Amino acid sequence: MAKNIYIGEIFKNEEIAQDCFLMSVALHSTFAEPQPGQFVMLRISGISEPFLARPFSIYSFQRETDFCRIDLLYQVVGKGTQILAGLIKGSQVEILGPLGNGFEISQSARNLVLIAGGMGAAPLSFLAEYLDNKVCSGSSKIYFYLGARNSETLIGMDKINNLTCTAVICTDDGSLGEKGLVTQILAQDLKKYAPDQTMIYACGPKPMLKELAKILQGTKFKCQVSLEERMACGVGACLGCAVEVKGKKGMAAYKRVCADGPVFYIDEIAWKKI
Amino acid sequence: MSGKNNINMSVKIEKLKLKNPVMTASGTFGYGEEYADYVDLNKLGAVVVKGLSLKPRAGNPPPRIMETTGGMLNAVGLQNIGVEAFIAEKLPFLRKFDTKIIANIYGESYDEYKKIARKLDAAKGVHALEINISCPNVQKGGLSFGADPKTAAAVTRKVKDATDLPVIVKLTPNVTDITAIAIAVEKAGADAISLINTITGMSVDIFTRKPHLKNITGGLSGPAIKPVALRMVWQVLQKVSIPVIGIGGIMNAEDALEFLILGAKAVQIGTANFINPQATMDVIAGIEKFMQMSNVANINKIIGTFKP
Ligand SMILES: Cc1cc2nc3c(=O)[nH]c(=O)nc-3n(C[C@H](O)[C@H](O)[C@H](O)COP(=O)(O)OP(=O)(O)OC[C@H]3O[C@@H](n4cnc5c(N)ncnc54)[C@H](O)[C@@H]3O)c2cc1C
Ligand SMILES: Cc1cc2nc3c(=O)[nH]c(=O)nc-3n(C[C@H](O)[C@H](O)[C@H](O)COP(=O)(O)O)c2cc1C
Ligand code: FES
Repeated sequence: MAKNIYIGEIFKNEEIAQDCFLMSVALHSTFAEPQPGQFVMLRISGISEPFLARPFSIYSFQRETDFCRIDLLYQVVGKGTQILAGLIKGSQVEILGPLGNGFEISQSARNLVLIAGGMGAAPLSFLAEYLDNKVCSGSSKIYFYLGARNSETLIGMDKINNLTCTAVICTDDGSLGEKGLVTQILAQDLKKYAPDQTMIYACGPKPMLKELAKILQGTKFKCQVSLEERMACGVGACLGCAVEVKGKKGMAAYKRVCADGPVFYIDEIAWKKI
Repeated sequence: MSGKNNINMSVKIEKLKLKNPVMTASGTFGYGEEYADYVDLNKLGAVVVKGLSLKPRAGNPPPRIMETTGGMLNAVGLQNIGVEAFIAEKLPFLRKFDTKIIANIYGESYDEYKKIARKLDAAKGVHALEINISCPNVQKGGLSFGADPKTAAAVTRKVKDATDLPVIVKLTPNVTDITAIAIAVEKAGADAISLINTITGMSVDIFTRKPHLKNITGGLSGPAIKPVALRMVWQVLQKVSIPVIGIGGIMNAEDALEFLILGAKAVQIGTANFINPQATMDVIAGIEKFMQMSNVANINKIIGTFKP
């Protein structure tokens, strides 16, 4: 018995883009070091509605002298995130984590290609930061494709600006960077990368990932995606967060996004069923 | 026995002796290992594992869960690794703990129930069987066995014939008269009854006009169902003399005590594990505290003290 539920104290909760909040939470220093792609289950202490915790990717992690700080980026989409957005400094949240399997870090790929759509920027900018600090040497380079609906909803730039990476910004309406879907822009660029020297990392809305799977189908690119599904337990016990994977002989087979993922290799997922 | 201050929390469900009346509910605690980092399994009265079928089952397509006011709907569809993989891969881990292991089983025919029971009977480390005759999620089987006193009794008899382990029959609330089923399974030889399983429900997305669950309907669990569970436990207790295990919406010690006071010998904690992985530990500690406060040294002096 080693793991615990952590009581976190909010010390920052600000709207940084339209309907998108950055929340900083102080946690006891025994909180384990998260890997990029891992997530936490978060509940607001003392409320009974909603009562299930909500999953959020880790955006930043910092060890201070006597506590740790975890940052989350979240979008207001429903009941839980609405209440979260109203929390003031000093409010308490219950945090379980870090959970799930993060991205497999490629030590050999020369091209580290990151693709984020919308809130997918949260885990991927954490990954970019990690790769920039720990992995990248002269021989490997980070290419970050970041997409959003428009300039108002684009997030993650503050972090990306501080990294040594080639950033390609795209917005659906062209209000910032290139006009078009991030997957379209990537598809145009794909020939620049040699498949056997490239690792692709992606996170974003399902239609985006599905499109990416289509683009990569039949190529030799290796690609890891971080998936989202409604969750109850977050630890693999309830089987609520199922995603269909390619089973044997066309039989349906499911994996748990929380415990078997949330990061999967893209060719493992049965995209036709999603 | 929990040691401190001579508080005795042990209960007996026929042959099955539990160190305290708190178990995990099937399907909400995986195979134990998922929560072993958060909970000292040795401290539990029993671990009831995810429903096992003869062959592995893939389960239902997603979305499988949806939160509703005071509860959640699930349509997992009894996804499980199958009884053989359970015995080979999960049981060795569970055997290491000083707790009772209860295997929840599910079949699509009498023959399947019988075969699963035989296999678990032969495996070392299973202390009792809990028969799920009530899962509302699967089209075949499940519901039909539990909804009719005759078929419920027949399943009970088949399983009893196939094993010497204590047999707990878990009842579905989705029936007109739960006492008729309870009486029938008692007559058929059940050693104990557990109730309730989830209540069939549904929920609609007003924007897409689609059901929130791919399966359309699902089983409701959580705090919202506790009053229904209490009512059914109370009704059943008046009609049977075998031990009854209370399940449904237990979130804390007070909730558990309501069931015990009615007369349930033990309780199972389900959905509460999801929002607090240590819910079972908190319930045990809370019951102990309540006993100290009320100067009761033996839990059996609390069980069945309801004053209607
Ligand atoms: C591993 C993982 C990491 C995530 N990381 C982030 C993150 O960094 N930032 C962020 O803003 N969001 C993230 N999400 C999504 C986030 O969990 C949901 O937006 C949140 O649970 C919605 O809660 P709510 O109560 O506001 O919405 P609800 O009222 O519950 O639902 C509103 C809408 O959100 C959808 N939704 C609910 N839960 C999820 C979910 N778990 N995944 C996807 N959609 C959901 C519902 O289907 C519905 O359309 C992540 C999800 C997962 C599984
Ligand atoms: C996700 C989930 C899966 C479940 N799976 C099973 C199962 O496999 N077999 C079974 O008998 N009951 C199953 N149940 C029912 C629970 O064991 C319990 O009877 C019910 O949830 C009510 O208790 P609660 O309100 O404390 O959750 C499941 C419940 C949930 C929420
Ligand atoms: S959320 Fe419970 S198994 Fe994934």
